[in-house]
Parts: sequence; C-alpha cells; structure tokens
Amino acid sequence: MTALELNGISKSFKNDEVLSGLSLSAEQGETVVIFGPSGTGKTVLLRLISGIYDPDDGDIRLSGSSVIGIAPERRGVGMAFQNFALYPHMEAAENIASPLQARGGTSAQIAEKVRDIASLLKIDHVLSHRPKELSNGQKQRTALARALVAGPKILLLDDPLRNVDAKLRFEMRLELPRLLREFQSTTLYVTQDYKEAMALGDRIAVLLDGGFAQVATPEDIYRDPVNLEVAKLFGDPTINLIPGRIVAANGGTHADLAGSTIDLGAGYAHAAGREIYAGIRPEAISISQTASEGALPVELIAVTPLNERVVMLLHLADGTEFFASAPEEGAAGSREHGPAFASIDPAALLIFARDSGQRIQPQTSNRQTV
Amino acid sequence: MFRRALPYMLSLPALVVCIGILIPFGTAVYYSTQRYNLSFPQARAFIGLENYTDFLSDSAFWNTIEVSLLYTFLTVTLELLLGLGIALLLRKPGRFNNMVSILLLLPLMTAPAIAALMWKLMTNPNFGVLSYLIGLIGFDDFRWASSPSSALFTVVLVDMWVYTPFIMILLLAGLRSLPRQPFEAAELDGVPRSFVFFRITLPMLMPYIITATLFRLLDSIQQFDIIYAMTQGGPGDKLMVFQVQSYLEFFQYTNVGRSAALLMVLWVITYVLSNLFVKHWLKLRERAHGHA
Amino acid sequence: MHHTSTAERILRGFLLTLVLLFFLFPIFWIFLMSFQTNEDILRIPPSLFFTPTLENYIALISGRLSTVAGDLDIAFMRNLWNSVLLSSLSVGVALILGVPAAYAFARFKFRLGENIAFTLLSFRFAPPLLVLLPLSLYFSELGLSDTYLGLVWVYQLIALPLILWIVRGYFEDISPDIENAYRIDGHSWATTFRKIAIPLARPGIAAASLLAFIFCWNNFVFALVLASADKQPVTVGALAFVTASGIQYGQVAAAIVLSVTPTLMLALYAQRYLVEGLSLGAVKG
Repeated sequence: MTALELNGISKSFKNDEVLSGLSLSAEQGETVVIFGPSGTGKTVLLRLISGIYDPDDGDIRLSGSSVIGIAPERRGVGMAFQNFALYPHMEAAENIASPLQARGGTSAQIAEKVRDIASLLKIDHVLSHRPKELSNGQKQRTALARALVAGPKILLLDDPLRNVDAKLRFEMRLELPRLLREFQSTTLYVTQDYKEAMALGDRIAVLLDGGFAQVATPEDIYRDPVNLEVAKLFGDPTINLIPGRIVAANGGTHADLAGSTIDLGAGYAHAAGREIYAGIRPEAISISQTASEGALPVELIAVTPLNERVVMLLHLADGTEFFASAPEEGAAGSREHGPAFASIDPAALLIFARDSGQRIQPQTSNRQTV
Repeated sequence: MFRRALPYMLSLPALVVCIGILIPFGTAVYYSTQRYNLSFPQARAFIGLENYTDFLSDSAFWNTIEVSLLYTFLTVTLELLLGLGIALLLRKPGRFNNMVSILLLLPLMTAPAIAALMWKLMTNPNFGVLSYLIGLIGFDDFRWASSPSSALFTVVLVDMWVYTPFIMILLLAGLRSLPRQPFEAAELDGVPRSFVFFRITLPMLMPYIITATLFRLLDSIQQFDIIYAMTQGGPGDKLMVFQVQSYLEFFQYTNVGRSAALLMVLWVITYVLSNLFVKHWLKLRERAHGHA
Repeated sequence: MHHTSTAERILRGFLLTLVLLFFLFPIFWIFLMSFQTNEDILRIPPSLFFTPTLENYIALISGRLSTVAGDLDIAFMRNLWNSVLLSSLSVGVALILGVPAAYAFARFKFRLGENIAFTLLSFRFAPPLLVLLPLSLYFSELGLSDTYLGLVWVYQLIALPLILWIVRGYFEDISPDIENAYRIDGHSWATTFRKIAIPLARPGIAAASLLAFIFCWNNFVFALVLASADKQPVTVGALAFVTASGIQYGQVAAAIVLSVTPTLMLALYAQRYLVEGLSLGAVKG
C-alpha cells in the first residue's frame, strides 16, 4: 500500500513560492531521501507532512487518507528535528517517553519501551540526564529515539546528522539503515549531503526549484541524471562539463570538445549540430602515459589525494581544465606531471543540451542497427 | 479554523483591558472640550477648544509648565550624572560591588509616597535628623519642603533618592555587558583614560543611557506621588506640576473640563516622548533577539 | 587593567561611603525611629543610643493607640491587609489574562496583537490620572467605586503591561520547534502550552510577577483616587495616618517600616531579575 502520497503540493511564504505543485509517493517501509541544496524547501516539505504548516494547495495522504486540516498530534508521524528540539526541562527518558505518554499506556509499559529503544541506540546510560548534560551525539540519538519509539507510520528525519561531528555521522550512516529496517517505518530523510543520500535512500528525490527534478534509486540518479543540475549535485569532485558540439561525420557522430574529439557512435545522430556539454565523471577517465585509440592528449597539472583516491587536474590541448580520479594504488605511473593521455569510458559519457541543461539521450534503436 | 482563531482567543482578555483603558481615555478627551464643573452641572456645555485657549492667558498654566519642566530637567540631569558616576564606581564585578549595587536597589523598591513620608520625618523642623545636621553646618532655620526657596530642592532630593538607583542599575548592566576588546586595545596603546571614557565608554553606553533617560523623562514629567505626599504642590504653587495641578483641579475645584484639558496637554508631551522611546526600544529588541 | 594607585583607592572608598550613606541612611534612621518612644525621637541632639521599645508596633498591630487625649482607633493593619490582597489579586488576574496573550504575541505575528501590545505599552507611559479621573466618574455609576473588584481591574494598568512584555520576551526565546516536536509526539495544543511553554518561560513569569507585585504594592495614585478608607492600601493609608496620629512619630515610622518591608524583601530575593524587569526587557542580552 502507498504509505505516503503527496499530490500537487504548493506552499508560499509571503510572495515567495517555496514548493510548487510537488508530488511524490512512498511505499510502506521505504526510505526516500529528500535531497537538494539548502533553501530549496526540504524542511518545509517535512513540516507540511507533519502538520506544522498547512499547504496552500494540494493533498497529503497518509495510508490512503487525507490529513489536510488534521492537527499534528493526530497524524501519527514521528519527526526528528535538525536542531534536535529536545525538551530542555525534561530528562532524556521523559523526552523519549513523550510520544508514548500521548498514546496512553501504563508507566511500566512506557518505561520498558523507553529502555528498549535506549539500549538499541546506546543511550541507556544517560536516560536520567537533562538535554544540556548530553553530548551532541547523545542528543541526536535521543531525538531519534523519541521519533521512533511509538513506531510511527511515517518517520520524518530532518537532516538529523547535520549537527554532529564527522565520526558520529559516519557511524550513524552505517547504523541508520539497520534501525529503519527494524522499525519498518516509511521514512522521509532530508539531507544536503549526497553521500548520505546515496547511503541511506532506497530512492532519492532531488528537490530543485520547488519540485522534484528526479526521483530514482541512488544508482540511477548517479548514472542517469535527467539534467545538468542533478548531475552536478552528486559526486566529488563534481562531474566535468566540457563545452562542445555534436558533429555528424562518416555515418557516426563525435563530440567536438575544445579542439579534442570524442567518438559518440551513431546514437546521437538526432542531435547533430547541437551545442552541448559533455559530462564526464572523474572516475570514468583513466590516465596513462601511453597513447591508445580514442585517448585525448592532455597535460597533467597537479595530483591531490582525496579519500583513498587521487584527484588529478588536467588540461586539454586548449587549456580547458578538468578532473580525473583514480584509486590510490591503481594510479601508479600516472602521477608524473606533464603530457599524458586520457581515455574516456564512452558508456559513462553524459550529454546535456547547453541551452536548457536537459539530458540528450542516445537513440538506442539507431545503435542497434549499427 | 482553530489555528486561525487561537491568537485572537488568547489575546481577547488583554483586548478587553485595552478597551477598558481606551474608553476612559476617550471620555477624558471629550471632557476636555466641555465646560464641566461638578459643582455646577447645569452649566455643562460643549466649548470646543476653549479650555485649551484659556490656558494661553492663564498664569497658573504657565507656572505648571515651568515647574514641570524645571523639575523634570533637574531630576533627570542630576540622576543621570549621579547614576552614571555610581555605575562607574561599581563597574568591576566583585562581591563587594555587587552587594552595594543590590543594597542601592532598596530606595527604588520603596513606594515613592512612603519615601516622601520618610524624608518628611527626617526633615521635620522639631526633631528631624536632617534639620539637626544641617543646623550644625550653619543653616539654622532651613525649612526644607515647607519653605518656598528650598521646596524644589528638597523634593528633587527625594526624587533622586528614589530614582537614581534605577539609572545606576541600568547603566551598570550596560557597562558590564560592553565587549572588553576595545578597552584592552586602548590600554595596550596607552590611551589616556579621559579619552577612553569620552571616546569609547560613553558612545558604547549610549543605547543604555538613552533607554534610562527616556524612562526617567516619562516618569519625571508625570511625577505625582512624591510631590503630593510631601507638599501637595505647595508651598503656594511652587511645586504645582501637571498631575498635582489636575488632581486638585478635579477634586478641589471640581472643574472636570479644565482638569481633563490639562491632562491632555501632558498626554501629548508623554506621547511624543514614548513614541521616541518605543522606536528606540524596538531597535534594541531587534538587536537582542536577532532578526529571526 | 589600569594600575590603581592608593590615592585612587581611597577616593573610590570615600565616594562609595558617601553614596551608601545617602541611599541607606534614611532607611536605617526610620528603622531606628520605629523602636523609639516619642521622647527619644524629640530629643535634641538625636542619638543612636536609646532603649528600644516595641510599643509602636504593638499599638499598630493591636489597632489601638493610647494618647494623652484618649484612645484612638487605627486602621493601619487593615491597610496592610488591603495591600496584600490588592497586590496579590492584581498579579493573579494579570497572569491569567497576560500570559496567554503574551504567548499569542510572541508566537503568532498578527496585527491585532501588535496593536494591543502597543496600546498597553503606551498607556504604561501615559499620565495615570488621564484614565483615573474619568474612571472615577464611571465607577460611581457602575457601583465599582470603592470595591476590590474595581481596584484590581484598574491595577491591571500596572501589572498587565509588565507581564505581557517581560513574559513575551521569554516565550520568544523558546524555539518553536520544541513545541512543534511536542505536538507531533501527539499532545494537544493546550497540553503543549501547559507542559512546554509555561515551564520554559517560568523564570520570566516569576520575575514579572514579583515586579508586578512590587509595583502594585507601591502604587499610590490609583487607590488615592478610587478607594475610600476601608479599601486603601498602605501607601495611601500611611499618609492619612500621619495626619490622624498627630505627633506619634514613632508609630508613623513603624508604619513605614511595615509598609516597605515586604517589597524590600522581595526585591532582595529577586534582585537578579530586576534589571530586565525594570526596563521591560529593553536592556536584555
């Protein structure tokens, strides 16, 4: 069953339209990451679902029934706030017990559930502390425990790892998927960290300009972005975008990129003559000292290590800069500054129209005939 | 629906109080345009601005203006200087200084009318300790509040006793919240202290000084309790400030119209001052609470 | 820190002594007087040494004043009781009316709210007689003159703005998300208000209540205009008492001590809130 359905949601503040006609649906138990740069309305979206704000237009359905006009306390959602929003005058245990108390039950039952979830989240030793006596990581776990404890139908997590340090973020990124599976809640997870999005999401919904630019699995979003903006949001270093033009020749096409040429095969014949950006992920470029077929002559300018990989700054013949990355060990021999050759995996090549930023897909039927 | 209506429901009682204030205020405005004396109810009539135009040629009115302004000027100036001086003396936080600043709150928390009584007892010509002490330094027949030549001095002194701590405590809070860096930098550079005071301390303290001054201006020009309790505006009309004058006009001469007109003049003065105050204060609040 | 020379320290000490003398001597002296007989008081030169007596307090508390001319009834204890009653009731009413409104003004930005807040604030600074004199005429028509109800109503003019503006600041400092989180947990608006907003604003509510109590207690003009003898608080009562008691100065002093003790004690107890409260939060931060 569809656990969550958003239909044509719009929301403005003053004259500033934050969300316009946005739609999304999530299946029971699914984790959907709402991903986008800051200020795109991710938090607003969660607040609309939880009932803190009312949408100007559109419908929100939880487990099939509309919750428009229903007060937050009657929607049965759980939410963890970015700034934790713990109750400063209550102990951690009381904080976690709050949703259970609202739902009723004996204090023994409540205490037991609080203990269970606390030990699951490894905060059982600080249950009697007030929020200001907790470390940031403990606060974050307390907030998470509070959101989860009553087993909400929908779990809303508003960038819960934003305010914790890097080590904790790493631990939680590993721990969260297990936790979410255990509770089988349908989860909307807001983040602006693409790695977090890719690690946690069954699907990622990319929020841009008030609507979802793309909703797909992490792999699809990375490999097959619908437009330039989505492509740029994922990957570090970001995707190389080299301006050029598609040229038809000898029955096939190639991209004319700043004086260098990459063969595109026959699939792009329909786009011949268009001004484009060729999008090449850094890891789809391999650098070698020896020329091979189709490899571009480049100049290697600098090499920097980055998370067990090395990133290389390269210049094309006309001086256009781009990056390549390679596993640290495998990159041996390709580190010498100076002339080198870059070969590009044609399957990983993404072509975007230069005017609209939209993806230009190869026409597969053509390819089959060749 | 609930969400829309909630703020209005919550503020309804406060609204009722507001209306409860605005109705008598409107009535006062209305009375001020009437010839209305409780002793001659049959002569009651609408006379437009005549109560006000009468003031122009009325020496009692001009006396009230003069006394009120003089009183306000003297109290606010002296209290500001003294309050600033004491705040500077107590500036460094420490056990002793904090204790002194707390003790200095006591006069401020004394009811002004009661404070006036205290000073009346101390300045009693027969047994007052102050009369005795001032006799020792050669003022044998100093009559304090009962002599026209020293009445203003005495009442200003009582006002200072009650309200200087107010200025002191606001400025002390201000002084102690100032950032330290400018002072440390000035110290390192060997800047003279007078320069530090006039070019760093005072300008940085200005928001607090303005707040304290506006508060005191508003209270002082409306002073009633101290003056009424000490001299009822006398001797003669020496201390006939606005509110004392209009109180007597109302209860002694039962001249409602004139009393209301007098209060309206005072209201206009305080309205202008309080608008200044509110604007200044909103600016401070915005800064304190951020723009969120 | 500037190097402080000995001369400077002596000067500072001297000035502080003068300051303390000016501000504390009157309280000290009246306190002494309240334990003196009339003979002690009238002695010239005045002396710090005397045999203390409780006569003045006994006379005040028993309500009977024995003079050469005969016995005199004094209603001072009644005044004291009136002060307690009027101040506490006024603060209580102001809390009930003011705290929800302060919450509304802090949480919901709406025009009416701003207008109410500013009307109350500007009347905090308006001449009280402007409202009181017409009100005294209305009160006699409504049968409210010389009733506790009428006085408590008018005292809202003192207590309500204080509560509104101070408590509002505290509500503004609570992150709305704390309340949102509690709602999402499943609690109603009313429970959230009671369990989250009120406890978190408690220091502000306490400070505002104490100050409002002190200001109500110290008020003079409201009761002077609107109350007759049996409803008058100490501020008005003490003044009347001076005239009534003739030359019983020790009793006047004792009455003064009894009148100021409650507020001075409260002030000492709550001193850390006073700065904020006195300036309606204008210098907070």
